[in-house]
Amino acid sequence: MQRFLSTILLFVTMSVFALAAESAPPSAAPTDDHGDPVLKAMIAELKRSQEKLQLGQLQRPYYIEYQVSELEDQTADATLGALRSDQVNAGRLVRVVVRIGDYKQDSYFGSGTGAVEMMPTDDQELALRRQLWLATDKAYKAALTGFTEKEAALKNVETETDLVDFSQEKPSQSVGDLARSSVDMEKWKQMLRSTSDIFRSDASLESSNAFLSFRVLNRYYVNTEGTITRSGKAVYSYAFSGTGQADDGMWIERSHGWVVTRPDELPKPNEIQKEAKQLIGTFKALEKAPLVEDDYRGPVLFSADAATSMFERLIVPNILGIRPDLGNPARTNGEFASYYKGRVLPDMFTVVDDPKAKEIDHQTLAGNYDVDDEGVEAQKVTVIDKGILTNYLLGREPIRDFPHSNGHGRTALGGAPRPSISNLIFKAANGASFEELKKKLIDMCKDQGRPYGYYVETTGPQLSPRLLWRVYVNDGHMELVRGAIFKQLDTRALRSDIVAAGNDTYVYNRTEPLPSAIVSPSVLFGELEIQRANHTREKLPQYPAPALSTVTASN
Amino acid sequence: MSFKKPLFLCLFSLVLAGPALLGQTAPAGASNQVLLNTMQQELDRAMTSLSKADPAPYFISYAVTEESGAVVMASNGALVANANRHDRTADISVRVGSRDLDNTHGDNRYNAITTAALPLDDKPDAIARVLWLNTDRMYKKAAQGFMEVKTDTKVRAEEEDSSPDFSVEKPQVFIGKGIAPESFDRKAWEDRIRRYSSIFSKYPDIENSTVVLLIEDSTRYFVSSEGSRLVDSRPLIRVLALGNTRSSDGMELARSETFDASSFDKLDSDQVMTAKIEKIAQDLQKLKKAPIVEPFNGPALLSGRAAAVFFHEVVGHRLEGQRQRGENEGQTFTKMIGQPVLPKFLSVEDDPTLPSLGGVELSGNYNYDEEGEKSRRVDLISNGILKQFLMSRMPVKGFMQSNGHGRGQSGLMPVGRQGNLIVRSTKTVPDSELRKELINEIRKQKKPFGLYFEDIAGGFTLTMRNMPQAFQVMPLMVWKVYPDGRPDELVRGVDIIGTPLQALNRIVLTGQKIDVFNGECGAESGSVPVSAAAPAMLFSEIEVQKVAQGHERPPVLPPPGVEKPEVASQQQNANPGGR
Repeated sequence: MQRFLSTILLFVTMSVFALAAESAPPSAAPTDDHGDPVLKAMIAELKRSQEKLQLGQLQRPYYIEYQVSELEDQTADATLGALRSDQVNAGRLVRVVVRIGDYKQDSYFGSGTGAVEMMPTDDQELALRRQLWLATDKAYKAALTGFTEKEAALKNVETETDLVDFSQEKPSQSVGDLARSSVDMEKWKQMLRSTSDIFRSDASLESSNAFLSFRVLNRYYVNTEGTITRSGKAVYSYAFSGTGQADDGMWIERSHGWVVTRPDELPKPNEIQKEAKQLIGTFKALEKAPLVEDDYRGPVLFSADAATSMFERLIVPNILGIRPDLGNPARTNGEFASYYKGRVLPDMFTVVDDPKAKEIDHQTLAGNYDVDDEGVEAQKVTVIDKGILTNYLLGREPIRDFPHSNGHGRTALGGAPRPSISNLIFKAANGASFEELKKKLIDMCKDQGRPYGYYVETTGPQLSPRLLWRVYVNDGHMELVRGAIFKQLDTRALRSDIVAAGNDTYVYNRTEPLPSAIVSPSVLFGELEIQRANHTREKLPQYPAPALSTVTASN
Repeated sequence: MSFKKPLFLCLFSLVLAGPALLGQTAPAGASNQVLLNTMQQELDRAMTSLSKADPAPYFISYAVTEESGAVVMASNGALVANANRHDRTADISVRVGSRDLDNTHGDNRYNAITTAALPLDDKPDAIARVLWLNTDRMYKKAAQGFMEVKTDTKVRAEEEDSSPDFSVEKPQVFIGKGIAPESFDRKAWEDRIRRYSSIFSKYPDIENSTVVLLIEDSTRYFVSSEGSRLVDSRPLIRVLALGNTRSSDGMELARSETFDASSFDKLDSDQVMTAKIEKIAQDLQKLKKAPIVEPFNGPALLSGRAAAVFFHEVVGHRLEGQRQRGENEGQTFTKMIGQPVLPKFLSVEDDPTLPSLGGVELSGNYNYDEEGEKSRRVDLISNGILKQFLMSRMPVKGFMQSNGHGRGQSGLMPVGRQGNLIVRSTKTVPDSELRKELINEIRKQKKPFGLYFEDIAGGFTLTMRNMPQAFQVMPLMVWKVYPDGRPDELVRGVDIIGTPLQALNRIVLTGQKIDVFNGECGAESGSVPVSAAAPAMLFSEIEVQKVAQGHERPPVLPPPGVEKPEVASQQQNANPGGR
């Protein structure tokens, strides 16, 4: 009965749109430009395109959207007290999507996923509209091609019939303030010089630098459903890193950084100095640290910092509601495609993605926004409820059982929006203090007759441990080791092997692929495998580094 | 004319990845002794330290390019990009083995350079450390490359050209004056570029158009283990105007104009630039409505500018030394030394030492090439006889020395490239008589018409850095000239067929005035500024056909601001259906 009903509904919907395609499409382009010259040009060209764009007797668009991104990106780096790069990238570009067909089946496929053009930075209406005109024309022709490509592709595969191509959502009107950069770049370049100068204290480092990236991104968005949004966002990041080699050739890399959304949250000079000195100290310790030789399979404690990296790799890609390629019946293209309403974490964990959250424990969250890049209002989504997967993060391309967007369609710059996280917050019920977790680690090892357990403080690329400690059972002292990797740290281990979590919180703000945050407590695995890493070790430099003057020139 | 896509992609990346703030750091000014001395010390230290290694390097060079520049770009009267840049890039070259066989042999050549960003601040130890780390990496790459080369030469059949890999040259020492970054009235220039770009807006059929001001002040520091030590500077100011449109059958049509100078006061006047940009905009309007060329074989006249581009692409590129050696090369001229390749009255030289010709500055002028060799005039073809090639330090059979043409952009191994290619003729008529000569030739051959090639585009006429270019010719403005006094008729879609080299031997006579074309030339060693100069030329025969290109329709709607309902409906009815 249900299927019958939906078929009828579908038929009705289709005929409505078939009719609409013959007469002029209903004009729902926004009308109020809020006194903004960019929005004014966008509305004018959107309206004109909606009313008049048709090639011969071919289908007219049923939907058009414009997204203008206005970027100001300042990056710089310094090494050993000398500024090395200093760039400003600024400009505007527009991404235009034209869809033909209807919500049920449209042209957003293959070539038909939009067109990008550069936009003037001057607010001149005709010049702005000209680029919009060119991009719209390109996107329309691309849509005509995409529609045909899609029809051809559909002939070759069996598809789920009840999934529409594009969900219908409530139009948003949200015209916010633009962001402007307000940092004193000269001061920060000087800061890069002085931070990088601190690395002189360890002449054995092969390279080191301090770098910053201050990005302001303003967005303007209109579509033919009546949505109009404008928003501004700034992300400031400041970091430093160093690279050295142990005597046996093993690379030792360390970095530390801050990602914040307001200039006043950037670290103060004494904080930077303290962290840099501490980081430099770890090189010597790591160079002298013993290599992990034996396989270990037992309790491992992840700091909250290391846990965010672990969740980033193992959970984030799998909760995105990205529809698989045409003909693939899976719900999503992630590992959790068939885990809807199933267990993915122990029941102590609840995971929420909250785009509206601005801070947690007085720490800024980089993934905050009001409306996503498809013009849909941001929604707080409980993704994992007591360990059970209850939701995916969604844009306007529905997946099985999820017919609507939950405001998570995002794009970095000129690309197509895709489901993405915003602020993904992991919380554990009955979280223990870090000391309690450490004690639990020791107790478990003691019970198993082990001399030590492992504590992961930070990780590097591919979840390789950077600061890995042995925690000795006899007196609780910790010993730094190097050259280890995790074995079988995967979604199965997350589901079955976590035995406890902390009441602490680490905020991992990231700028790539999009400004977003992952927040997590410390996590204790009852069992995890740690092995010696068999990376090829590079030869040490063929000849010694040039001498470093110890006189610091900055400050 | 795959002009639109790469160009606009390229401009796009310019904004998003290119420019940087002009240094509040070390001013790129007078030649920088701290930098040069640091390079020298670190080079000496590397050479000494690595002499104990196995294999030991027999040659190391450091080339540092300090560039400061600005980009101002506008479309339709509005700025699109506006930025400054300042960077220092070190190219490190290490050769192990021997001159006869080293790590740069064969395909390994392009792997024989390492590039790194150097500090902009003059802090010797910070600069030294970056040089050291990257020299060490380059050395390891060279040592491994040499092993591969040795294995490869053992396994493969003997090469046809067994010349050494690196020539013996005398070290060069020249400490030129660094240049201060060109100061310019930014506000005035922004307005000027806006104004130039708005010229295109008057023509509703033009789709994309852009005008760019590029300022590139570069100073090059070069030291080598052979004892060369050079500081040399080159300022370049360039205004580039580009526009394109599409005919109703989908053919893409593009026009561009370049204005190069070594300083602002040497640029063409505002009036001249306005007029020339206006002309290419009008050309596009005319081209859009021009009929397609029909297949034709008969007399043709090439303007000096068209002839210059033609020679650059068809002759110049084929005379680059490395094309005589590479196994994938056509080697058109390899075995023709001493033989006639052009009519006797034509000679071709490449003379990078010339700063100007006939009062026009030449963009291909330089003092030292990227391998530190002094530039010099090279007579490539004398009275029709092929004499030599454009040589870098990579020898080819019969030519063991560089002739100062080893060129390339930072990050890429230099190869033999053109500088200022100049075609001279001894069989000339006054330019005012060329048209008469063409008509005589048409009548003699009893043809209904001849062709006048006003403009030809090559890789280097569409002049942006980092654009992939192939050396081919694309006739842009071609007119049918009738012998009976009817007005000339513009045609579009012209493609020259048959080998261009055969066409060269059908040159009958030339004009007297030598036209200069300045631009940026792209090849395997990247983009380098060049000039080509030639007189107008009469060909007894050129064979053309319709070019196969483009299928995308012109925009459906007219541009905003020029709404005329009848235009829209006419276009809609023009080609119904069809996709």
